[in-house]
Amino acid sequence: MAEPAYTVASDSETTGEEKSSPAFPEIAIGIDIGTSQCSVAIWNGSQVELLKNTRNQKLMRSYVTFKDEVPSGGVSNQLSHEHEMLTGAAIFNMKRLIGRVDTDPVVHASKSLPFLVQTLDIGVRPFIAALVNNVWRSTTPEEVLAIFLVELRVMAEVQLKRPIRNVVLSIPVSFSRFQLTRIERACAMAGLHVLRLMPEPTAVALLYAQQQQQMVHDTMGSGSEKIAVIFNMGAGYCDVAVTVTGGGVSQIKALAGSAIGGEDLLQNLMRHLLPNWEKLFSSRGINEINSMGLLRVATQDAIHKLSSQDSVQIDVDLGNGSRICKVVNRQEFEEVNHKVFEKCESLIIQCLNDAKVDADDLTDVIVVGGCSYIPKIRNLVKSICKRELYKGMNPLEAAVCGAALEGAVASGISDPFGSLDLLTIQATPLGIGIRANGNRFVPIIPRNTTMPARKELIFTTVNDNQTDVLIVVYEGDAEKAEENHLLGYFKIMGIPPAPKGVPEIKVCMDIDASNVLRVLAGVMLPGSQQPVVPIMEVRMPTVDDGHGWCAEALHRTYGATLDLVTVQQKI
Amino acid sequence: MIASGIPIYQFSVPKSSNIYGTFNSDKLNSRWRQKWTEIRCCKQKVGEKARTKKNYYELLGVSADSNLQEIKEAYRKLQKKYHPDIAGQEGHEYTLMLNEAYEVLIKDDLRRNYDASMGPMRGKFGKTLSGYSSWKGPLRPHALFVDANACIGCRECVHHASNTFVMDEALGCARVRVQFGDDDQKIDVSVESCPVNCIHWVDREELAVLEFLVQPQLKEGYGVFGGGWERPANVFMAAKTLSKQLKEQAEAESRQRNGRVKVEEETPAQAEARANASMKIQMERFGRMWNNLKPLFGSNIWDQK
Repeated sequence: MAEPAYTVASDSETTGEEKSSPAFPEIAIGIDIGTSQCSVAIWNGSQVELLKNTRNQKLMRSYVTFKDEVPSGGVSNQLSHEHEMLTGAAIFNMKRLIGRVDTDPVVHASKSLPFLVQTLDIGVRPFIAALVNNVWRSTTPEEVLAIFLVELRVMAEVQLKRPIRNVVLSIPVSFSRFQLTRIERACAMAGLHVLRLMPEPTAVALLYAQQQQQMVHDTMGSGSEKIAVIFNMGAGYCDVAVTVTGGGVSQIKALAGSAIGGEDLLQNLMRHLLPNWEKLFSSRGINEINSMGLLRVATQDAIHKLSSQDSVQIDVDLGNGSRICKVVNRQEFEEVNHKVFEKCESLIIQCLNDAKVDADDLTDVIVVGGCSYIPKIRNLVKSICKRELYKGMNPLEAAVCGAALEGAVASGISDPFGSLDLLTIQATPLGIGIRANGNRFVPIIPRNTTMPARKELIFTTVNDNQTDVLIVVYEGDAEKAEENHLLGYFKIMGIPPAPKGVPEIKVCMDIDASNVLRVLAGVMLPGSQQPVVPIMEVRMPTVDDGHGWCAEALHRTYGATLDLVTVQQKI
Repeated sequence: MIASGIPIYQFSVPKSSNIYGTFNSDKLNSRWRQKWTEIRCCKQKVGEKARTKKNYYELLGVSADSNLQEIKEAYRKLQKKYHPDIAGQEGHEYTLMLNEAYEVLIKDDLRRNYDASMGPMRGKFGKTLSGYSSWKGPLRPHALFVDANACIGCRECVHHASNTFVMDEALGCARVRVQFGDDDQKIDVSVESCPVNCIHWVDREELAVLEFLVQPQLKEGYGVFGGGWERPANVFMAAKTLSKQLKEQAEAESRQRNGRVKVEEETPAQAEARANASMKIQMERFGRMWNNLKPLFGSNIWDQK
């Protein structure tokens, strides 16, 4: 089957119906698209195998260069030097940018990258462009990701000698549903079908479950229940999960995540070395981009070295007449980044609290991801969890291995030796609810609910003879509705006139194992046995972008005329 | 926490369960509850039976006095079978119920509330309420059996021989709690009094199978949409065919193993794969019946105080 290298498929490719086809004809591959590095793995029949590119690399830099007619990514392209990635022609860190609007602080922080990221701060997509022959070629994170995924797919297809269609992707915990749709769309553009999107630490948890299961088999011991904390910090994101593992089943008890990572450490240190660097480089001529690239590489190098040595000498000529010559020691690095480390600590503590697990109950503490080599990170996890760190995993490959295991399990593959006798029971990383009680966010499915999940709440009208109500669906944990991600909205119309508080509006939310969210709403009047208007069922999200002003415009136009309040349950 | 607490409570209180039914536009099919998804997709509605109450313990296949460890293990075992990752989208509804049951039974306070809502009957009789009769006095060649399909819940038998028969309030029909719990005369009167002649004398050997089959069983895998519980329309016929099915099961399992290999090797037509999958689910169902029967044949169940 000769597929074009770049196919654009419609959104319908990623609908839940298709995901649910009863038999998966092939083993899905696992892909870990990291902010800085990517990898692909597959269950080869007896174990997980990482695929290598033609240069024998298992981990490939995540970037796409727009230098020539055809953009090329980090899978096939050979960088002559690290600096080549920083000439303005290459787009990277797309995982930090995907699905974000230009009011997002993460997008603002990305303005310091050596390509163009412009923001207007009005809640639309940021303008992202690569410098090609002195012309800014505009692109989107999805496009960049899709080009990269095509390369990964081709690489896997060549090695496995079969077409690849189904994939399991690992994603950060803090991704909103918008970002997930963007990822799915990028996959569809690359001709890939997303079987599961798996939060990274849960992929690691699955690998852990398999390792524990293997140990039980080997020692013939009893498979007791084990509680583990998984801390995963890469270049772009930091995730924490608490998993309870027994008999090959990994139950995710709690998830926490934030968009902090190595990139922040890098930028903080760059700012430390050259306090006004953002200003210096704001014009983005060729020379500025070059200097920015040089500083970036030097700083990155220094951070890597600081993992193994106490101090490092930075000596870099920025090419514009200025030269940075400085010794940075580990303590300095930790001070510059103390906010990042504090955030990491708070994520772990929050996750343990959410899971209602005490540090003393933990069996293992697993630290993975690129930042796991940083001594401060290791120490802070150790001190919170009061445990030595788990040693049985490669920190850079754990997530992709877990994704490949999930790929095999969800493809219906079984293993004669029981190595695939595994299951992940996921939990929802963010609460989902609707706007009600004024401008409040009322969660219907709270954070960390076991998936698949279905919950419902009863609401009622706020005005007499209110015929329409607006169901505005949000995702998040903030109390105020607009501080959460708007997922979509729909109207229930034709409610028979009745005094306020009389119609019973039942809103039910259903999340299936592939994370598809459906929202159902029905209206009852006292005494009637049938819903008075047809039940609405909506697959979310429905809004195209996370435009904050959508909600504002709704509010401006309709005020409280379509509002809802919760009904107090009599117990 | 409030948001999650409310729906749980609804499930455990029967009177609020009609909230579900009221959304149901097709009342003939289910008198208790119709799932949201059925409104959308009705293709899975096979052999739907009404049920009056969802029993979390039966759902997880554990006894009411089981400890936390047993509940966790049962939950994991069932999840491994029915989680949509493994069983496909068809496992969705069942997994939802599992999660709901687990959520309640795993937390001490919720479990206590739930046990209380199930009524004092459960607490008093514990295991004996779960459907099997015990014996008073020596074992006899014949035993009493109530065909719950025919029973109209008139309580005549309970009235005449209250030590032998009990009313299963959850199912709305009578059943034998203690074989020969009353004297012969009372039992004869009660058998005679049944307006629909649903009390049968059966061989003792058959009793276990019949009592097993007459209990509403969880419909496995693909059928859970219909409400989740069913019993054979004719238990006597079902008992006869069960042994035959068990034999077939062994054959079919080997057949199905072959099919499985095929799936792994190459991608066959999807239809074939689906056929294999549904066959597998069916076979597993027989496997479960067999597992449930095994302890019964171990005779010591007869005398359960």
